[in-house]
Amino acid sequence: MKSVTTRYLMTCAAIGAAMGVLLIPANFVSAPLAAAAPMAYAPMVGLWLIGPVLALALIRRPGAAVLTTFVAGVVSSASPVGAWSIVTCLMAGVALELAFVVTLYRVWRPWLYYAAAVVFGGLYVASGWAAFNMGSMMTGVLVTFVALMIGSFVAATWLGLFLAQRLAKAGVARGLAAPRGSAEPAQVAHTDAR
Amino acid sequence: MSTPGAAGVTDLRTYNPLVKVLGPIPVMVYVVLTRDVLTPAVVALVVFAAIALLGRVRPRVLAAIALGAPVLCLVMTFSFGMLTDPALVDDTTLLAAVGPVELWSGALETGLATALRTVALMLIVLLGGLTTTGADLVRAMTQQLRVPYRIGYAALAALRFVPRFGHELEVIRGAHRVRGVAPGRGPAVAVRRQAGYVVPLLAGGIRHAERVSLAMDARGFGAYPQRTDRLRIPFRVRDVVLLVSFWAGGAACVAVAATLA
Repeated sequence: MKSVTTRYLMTCAAIGAAMGVLLIPANFVSAPLAAAAPMAYAPMVGLWLIGPVLALALIRRPGAAVLTTFVAGVVSSASPVGAWSIVTCLMAGVALELAFVVTLYRVWRPWLYYAAAVVFGGLYVASGWAAFNMGSMMTGVLVTFVALMIGSFVAATWLGLFLAQRLAKAGVARGLAAPRGSAEPAQVAHTDAR
Repeated sequence: MSTPGAAGVTDLRTYNPLVKVLGPIPVMVYVVLTRDVLTPAVVALVVFAAIALLGRVRPRVLAAIALGAPVLCLVMTFSFGMLTDPALVDDTTLLAAVGPVELWSGALETGLATALRTVALMLIVLLGGLTTTGADLVRAMTQQLRVPYRIGYAALAALRFVPRFGHELEVIRGAHRVRGVAPGRGPAVAVRRQAGYVVPLLAGGIRHAERVSLAMDARGFGAYPQRTDRLRIPFRVRDVVLLVSFWAGGAACVAVAATLA
């Protein structure tokens, strides 16, 4: 905890707050939409992944995804599901963070973000499989549903990486990112980071 | 509510947030794994009764749940009934056939089971959600789960960023208008204009956060391993009782559903 600067904490908090504002309407819409038109809900699931991808790509420090989603959950708790949004958001953050834990925070290339998004998408579909009894659905419906969900996660990852790149170009969070690694935002990062 | 010593044992808002949010998870996992109609129905009824009696929610919210849950159930029965593979249920009665779309009674039963399961899960989420604020859960996490308080306070401070975003958006909008960024009318231009706000808004938010962090450091935030809290979230005997009654209630629902079936 000593090595974690307040600047890092608050930067994650700012990204999380932005993501949380985005998720408040999503929390209201998602439950009725998932019920009435599961096909319309599937493309929405990526929303939960934009924040953690953006935070990890911009800050490039351990824990950024988990911290960002934690804050996003707190901010988006202003909806009927209340404090539960923290649990929902944290699931996305922890899943993404795990990919970087497994690679010991040495790989920051875009492919790892996409791989993590696809694996998380698979896990998410598996949990939905049990809840929605998806084994009993028509094959065509099933394929479309899974494709839409995974596609949504991949699109969200692209957007998160794109925003991180634009922010890094604008000089935001300079000196905060770890200097190692090879993905693009580091090109503008200083090497005097603590 | 986080006022310590509030008398109401029958007020769910005075219980520990951790118990209300994390306590029912075993029941939820069990409900997800059921496939019958009765178990989730019994759970949904019991949880709704608990929200009505102990939740202290406003009458309008309660009415919305009481109306919304059956409507949701009905819509889901049909929408998921349609998605069900007819090959699995073609030993049941064919109710209607419009062109290539067929509706079997077995498909409707599968849909109803899915609908009830979802409604039961939603009500369990609402039981904790309507009676707990995110800020109280954060306080309980730092006080009972030993989450480092710097993380907890960062999250609480982030709540104050939200109104700040609104102000920042006004400034960016004005600046873009003055500079003539994406002028014109029509939905396509409007989307482009909105998209142009995202990066400056995020950049402004992060820069504000950096200034706040400097102010926090200057005031010695995080200088000590422990700190005092203005609001204490107690963990009392009644919280243990609530936790046990969640599990006992879940088991009782399963038993009732089994005897009815």
